[in-house]
Amino acid sequence: MQIRFAGIGGQGVVLAGVILGEAAAIEGLNVVQTQDYSSASRGGHSIADVIISKEPIYDVIVTEADVLVALAQLGYDTVKNSLKEDGLLIIETDLVKPERPYIGAPFTRLAEETTGLALTVNMVALGYLVAKTGLVRRESVEEAIKRRVPKGTEEVNLKAFRAGYEEGSK
Amino acid sequence: MIIRGDEPEQLRLLRRLYKPGNYFMQGNEALSYGALFAGCRFYAGYPITPSSEIAETMARELPKLGGYYLQMEDEIGSIAAMVGASWTGFKVMTATAGPGFSLMQENLGYAVMTETPLVLVDVQRSGPSTGQATKGAQGDFFQARWGTHGDHPIVAVSPTSGQDAFWEVIRAFNIAERLRTPVVFLFDGVLAHTRERVIIPPVEDVEIAYRRLPANEEEAKLPFGDPHGDGVPPMPLFGHGYFTHVTGSTHKETGLRDVYTPEVHDRLVRRIHRKIEKNREVYEKYEEHFTDDAEILIVSWGVTARPALGAVLRAREEGINVGLFVPKTVHPFPAERMRELAKKARAVLVAEMNLGQMIIEVERYVNDDVLLKGVNKIGGVPLTVEEILREIRGVA
Repeated sequence: MQIRFAGIGGQGVVLAGVILGEAAAIEGLNVVQTQDYSSASRGGHSIADVIISKEPIYDVIVTEADVLVALAQLGYDTVKNSLKEDGLLIIETDLVKPERPYIGAPFTRLAEETTGLALTVNMVALGYLVAKTGLVRRESVEEAIKRRVPKGTEEVNLKAFRAGYEEGSK
Repeated sequence: MIIRGDEPEQLRLLRRLYKPGNYFMQGNEALSYGALFAGCRFYAGYPITPSSEIAETMARELPKLGGYYLQMEDEIGSIAAMVGASWTGFKVMTATAGPGFSLMQENLGYAVMTETPLVLVDVQRSGPSTGQATKGAQGDFFQARWGTHGDHPIVAVSPTSGQDAFWEVIRAFNIAERLRTPVVFLFDGVLAHTRERVIIPPVEDVEIAYRRLPANEEEAKLPFGDPHGDGVPPMPLFGHGYFTHVTGSTHKETGLRDVYTPEVHDRLVRRIHRKIEKNREVYEKYEEHFTDDAEILIVSWGVTARPALGAVLRAREEGINVGLFVPKTVHPFPAERMRELAKKARAVLVAEMNLGQMIIEVERYVNDDVLLKGVNKIGGVPLTVEEILREIRGVA
């Protein structure tokens, strides 16, 4: 299963990929996670790839994404061609205008309403993705969040993740 | 301070700090933990992408183990500091990339000539020059071999995953110690930044080697002699009470400079070569997959060996008799095995992230009637299973 997150620098796209990957590792699955970003720390495109499999993984890059999570138009435009014909497109509905079928929600607004912080948009989107796909268990992701986010921000990130998860379970 | 003589305390620290188990980490981190388990307690460096996480990890972890991280002013100073620290008995490492590896070449030669054990990690990035600074490549195959001037042997090791980097860097340290020689570790920017599941083993599972010290005063007087007949002189360490002279200029067995007598130079440089040539069992290593009946042989290394294996498995499903040969020590090249495998093959494909470097080495061992073809890609994106499979089908 190849999952690609695409956004712009500052949205926490890479961290979302790392946490999904760590959750898969916690479950003992084979997982490879890579990233690609422009040299600008904010505003440039930012891509995170996660490949999860019960079998050994031989490709270290996403060749054909099964799922694309797009949080910004620039990121979406950069990699939209890598999504499979019948792949699942999940978008930030306020910020991305795709020309193909999709599901999604206004993740940034949800983040602001839940935590007061737009920058928790990555956790909201991750929660939505996990609820919709069942790629990994919710508990594994929560454990991975605790390990990976800066100390003292665990609760706010978990709150955002759960809000996204609920939105995706509707 | 170093592990030798301090094993109980070092083992206790390693056990307490690094619990065995499943971790999710970058190749650069896995490599760093391997170095710590190997006994590296001194790192001098100048961070450069895509190697910087190695410097970060070593700077964070070394003080916990009683080791030293030294931030240097540039790459020339970094390798110079390593040479000095190694002569005091430390196992030493630095990591660099691209232009940094170029800057280290002069003192890499100094380390060869002074027979100084060290591990120089080159996280290969896309060049030439500053190139694509954040992207991976395999373009330094021959720079590792011939980057420094003059006749010299070199040992270079290249891993195929993050987990492999953990174990292979330990092997690189052991080679450096056993042969009293610098070892180049050819990593790459792709694996360096790829996060994967990495298993940290119990510290008891890791075997480490130490350099040979002089057994007595007589041996200590010949730091560049050959008292044991294997070409590897015992190393009289600074601070152990000996008068030792170390120079990059041609020197006698005593270490004293003699740049005029042809025989002295001939004897020294030939012994340094013999030391590597005659101790092949210390460093030679390769992996083989389905080579028994392979009519088509893929040769690959480092990051590319992995999609190459995926492609071989897929081609086998299609009924193609294809095998894979992966040199893990890439210099000196596993010549004899390469020659044997090439005799049985009708086609040899060499897959690598450059415009054709290892293939030049392979060519020396393949007869003219065998089809030899490169599978090459540059631009910072690794070869894929599909791309290599296409080339296999093309010659099947």
